[in-house]
Amino acid sequence: MSEAAITLDHVSANEGNQVRVDDLSLTVRRGEAVALVGSHTSGKGLTLRLCAGLEAPESGSVRILGVNPAVASEELLDLRQRVGFVFVKPALINSLSVFDNVALPLRYHATLPEAAIQDRVMARLVECGVEDLRDRFPAGLAMGDARLVALARAMAMDAELLLVDEVLFGLDADELVRFRKIVEGYRKQRTLTLVATFSAPTRLFAMMDRLVLIRNGRVVADCPPAEASRVADPMVRDFVIM
Amino acid sequence: MIAWTGKKTVEGIAYAADVLFLSYLAFKEFLSPARRGRSEVSKAVTRQILLIGVGSLPVIGAMALMLGLIVIIQAGLVLPEVGADAFLAHVIVVTVVRELGPLLTAFIVIWRSGTAIGTELGFMRVDQEIDALEAMGIHVIGLLVMPRMIAAIVSMICLTVYFDLVAVIGGFVVAKVALTIPFAAYLTEIEKALSMTDVLITVIKSGLFGLAIAVICCHHGLSVGSAMTEVPQQATRALLNTVAACLVLDIVVSISVYL
Repeated sequence: MSEAAITLDHVSANEGNQVRVDDLSLTVRRGEAVALVGSHTSGKGLTLRLCAGLEAPESGSVRILGVNPAVASEELLDLRQRVGFVFVKPALINSLSVFDNVALPLRYHATLPEAAIQDRVMARLVECGVEDLRDRFPAGLAMGDARLVALARAMAMDAELLLVDEVLFGLDADELVRFRKIVEGYRKQRTLTLVATFSAPTRLFAMMDRLVLIRNGRVVADCPPAEASRVADPMVRDFVIM
Repeated sequence: MIAWTGKKTVEGIAYAADVLFLSYLAFKEFLSPARRGRSEVSKAVTRQILLIGVGSLPVIGAMALMLGLIVIIQAGLVLPEVGADAFLAHVIVVTVVRELGPLLTAFIVIWRSGTAIGTELGFMRVDQEIDALEAMGIHVIGLLVMPRMIAAIVSMICLTVYFDLVAVIGGFVVAKVALTIPFAAYLTEIEKALSMTDVLITVIKSGLFGLAIAVICCHHGLSVGSAMTEVPQQATRALLNTVAACLVLDIVVSISVYL
């Protein structure tokens, strides 16, 4: 629990010409569940992408699971097999069925024989409650179902680090409960580090170890959920108290 | 005016450099295939050959038949009037095999598949599918660009040969109604007029056209940002630039070989 899964050290990053992350430092320990909370323009989405190594910082350093994502591509490809990312848009490959979407990273990295891949994919689809959709194509899925399929795909490689952008987007109340059970199930089975972004207060904060509140690309508060209501900043309380 | 010309020249050079660099990356990926994703890349190549090559057969066949018919009827009727009926085969080889075959095949592939490549990759960019591939450690050039490039080169060569055969043979069979030249004599003349260089240059041109179509269209597709409205804009640019690139390549090859 003490080893760092993610370290952002005085990181600044731009989106277009605008500075979105400004001298931000954050450490997430292995096995920890951290919520990045803030408005849509707070820079938390870009922070999450930095945590995945999908964006390079303008300054500062990033380490993900002990690897510097600025290193040679082969090591970065290995790292990405250990990181699952769920985008705001489900980002499923439209030309592939639900089953093939979840199987894609397994088949591409050829880590298992095809029979084992089929078993693994079905297991993930069943865990996420979307096994009935296995032969459907993404265009025909409801947003909530598509995001659960994206979660299944992100966990297909048994990721050690799961990053979820805007958890609440497109999920109804039932699906949020299901999302919580799925993630808690994974965290019981193995050491899974979870970093997720939120733009509004939610009961899902209860499953998090820390809430990190971000405004204008900077961390303004970092505390356990139970202590968030004691933070003096009124904007912080707006985002935390339901 | 001078500033505008200078700016456009710099933009043009930067654009050409980007396209050439993408070609280099795709070729590098092809020549030194990574240990990952071989089966997925093979599937992608097969799928693209089906879409670009096999899917174009009916429309290429119809266009070739009509073009062959027009050229053979016009040449077959006009050349005897000026006492040059012996040159029928030469005219067909020069117009159809050397020039129109590869060019028209390229234009059909651009209109049919080039725009599809640009649009598909553009929508993949907007829907964050390309980000998702990167996040899964999947090499985007290796899985998206290189298979399209290989498929376009292979398809263009095969489709051009198919176009030439249908135009030269099919066109004659249809035009036979209006002409009195025996089929065997026609084929013998074509065989005499057609040199190995013609065949080789046609294949080289087709390959270059396939390369230009795939890489330019992929470049424009991948250049889409986050707005849906950029997709048709980039697809249109891809279409125009690919047509221009094919014409330039055609002129360069023709001048270097035949002049």
